[in-house]
Amino acid sequence: MKRKRTFGNSLSDKMVILILGLLVLTYFLFIALPIIGIFLKIEPGQVNAQLHNAAIIDAIELSLFTSGTATLIAFVLTVPTAYFMTTRNFPGKSILDTLMDLPIVLPPAVAGIVLLYAFAPKGLLGPIFNRLGLIIPGSTIAVIIAETFVASPFLLRSAKIGFENMDKDVINSAKMLSGSRLRVFFTITFPLSIRAIISGTMMTWARAMGEFGATLMFAGNLPGITQTMPLAIYVLLYSNPFGGVMLAIILIIISFSILIIIKLLEQKRFGAKK
Amino acid sequence: MIKVDSITKSFGEKKVIENLSLEVENEEILSLLGPNGCGKTTLLNLLSGLLRQDKGSVYLNDVLVSGSTGAKKVHLKPSERKIGYVFQTTSLFPHMRIQDNVAYGLQSLHFTEQEIKKRTNALLDFVGLQEYAKFYPHQLSGGQKQRIALARSLATEPQVLLLDEPVSAVDPQLRESFRLELKNYLQALKITVVYVTHNLSEAFIMSDRIAVMGNGHIEQIGNRTEIFDKPTSSYVSQFLGINTFKGKAVKTDAGLLEIDVDGKLLLAPQAPNLVGKDVIATIKPEDIMLSKSADFNFNGAQGNSVEGVITEMVQMRSNAQVTIDAGFLVKTRLSLSSIKNLGFSIGDKVYVCFNADALNVFADNSSE
Repeated sequence: MKRKRTFGNSLSDKMVILILGLLVLTYFLFIALPIIGIFLKIEPGQVNAQLHNAAIIDAIELSLFTSGTATLIAFVLTVPTAYFMTTRNFPGKSILDTLMDLPIVLPPAVAGIVLLYAFAPKGLLGPIFNRLGLIIPGSTIAVIIAETFVASPFLLRSAKIGFENMDKDVINSAKMLSGSRLRVFFTITFPLSIRAIISGTMMTWARAMGEFGATLMFAGNLPGITQTMPLAIYVLLYSNPFGGVMLAIILIIISFSILIIIKLLEQKRFGAKK
Repeated sequence: MIKVDSITKSFGEKKVIENLSLEVENEEILSLLGPNGCGKTTLLNLLSGLLRQDKGSVYLNDVLVSGSTGAKKVHLKPSERKIGYVFQTTSLFPHMRIQDNVAYGLQSLHFTEQEIKKRTNALLDFVGLQEYAKFYPHQLSGGQKQRIALARSLATEPQVLLLDEPVSAVDPQLRESFRLELKNYLQALKITVVYVTHNLSEAFIMSDRIAVMGNGHIEQIGNRTEIFDKPTSSYVSQFLGINTFKGKAVKTDAGLLEIDVDGKLLLAPQAPNLVGKDVIATIKPEDIMLSKSADFNFNGAQGNSVEGVITEMVQMRSNAQVTIDAGFLVKTRLSLSSIKNLGFSIGDKVYVCFNADALNVFADNSSE
């Protein structure tokens, strides 16, 4: 019988390991070098001045305020929704499920235009706010709406996974012993999915902080009102490059911290000491 | 105590429980025995109220807890049914100390702090785990966790206790001792127990009566002897590992029923109403003896002696399962020493011998 020569057989194990190592190293450097590179751009003498630059301070404050508010709104809306979606069955559930995940893959510019048309004074939702004397597009509220729209599905997904992965027998045990749904939720379901919820909250916060496209389309780029850190970076790139670098570094540090927290949360689980 | 009246439950297209009725006596320990996927757990969940049946009613202590009377529909919450439930996995609340696990049900009954403490201690005493009160579940072994789960389910003073394969969460080498321990607890409790298992010997050890479940309904219910000596369907006898043959009842003669199984005539206890019918005959492996000579001594009783050939011998720990082809396949168990003494080996010609009394015969309704 003739032996077939396959691609894999013609390479020695050492070669495979070498090639694999090179690929891994290339990828690692591809991600790490640009990030390390920007830290090399720091000019120590300038740091202090930039931290007193009103435009930069405004952007930082606005970003913290809007992303914080967006995360809070996302939390209040998505955690109960996730619970409902994992515990109930109803017709059209999978369609609704898919729809609610849509903002994750939607290009931010599309999210922006969708929101713009919805909240424009003559849009679908605009007239409601008009009556309250509010014009949403171009306002800080628009920033919060854009960030919530784009970022909340991360928390929704994470909370759903948390609720889904719960041991059904544990929940059923609680139901046998307590007639109060709220008590079962707050003493059992919520504490047992807290890691998934916190990590989803972190993801949502990080995404809200980084929101650029939808904010630019829907809220505009008004310093102090809608100019968040990512928008400020874009503007400063031309007028004050070092200010842009400073903001970028702040965002990198925040993002990195969030990832570390998520990793720590994933490692530690209840009863993990098996 | 428990009365289930023709309940049906489907999950989508699949009927899991079909027109099932069941009664459990007060303070009785009933085992629900059946293979995986036969609907045992679903039945427990219907009793407990964690699921709601599509049709039929459930009564506890003569009170309708789920179903309809007239136009009124009733479905009591699980916590309102006075039922304790021990689940298959160790379902302790992993983020709570052992004492808080046990106290969980008491807290919803609005007892005073002191009363909760007193009762929790009493329950931990009952299962002998007082010193673990401050531990977390992951610090306990599988058996200890199930004992705590039992204590926790008893906190609300249930009238009925449901156990769903509680032994499966225990390490295999400790299961035997855990079974006996659990049996002692259940007997001490003096409450009505429904015990789900797929394990024959467990059902045998634990319960007063056994209900064999198959395909969404109760195939047979009775005490141990009734179930093992007189299975009433080939499903039950095959599930119990009993030899099951299809045959035809030929005639009655000299106070015995003669049946034809694949051309061999077997004698069975008298049953005139079966004559001429297709029947199923069952015989327990332990009622079968093997002999090298045709004239086996039945000590005066009427017996069957059928010639066959040993086709398979599977060695177990202390005995071997021997399969004989006698025109139909018969399985029996022999101790390793008797196999050695009698010098049996594969291919040997032997006589399969058993008392006529030991053969259980009933009408075969499957072909109708």
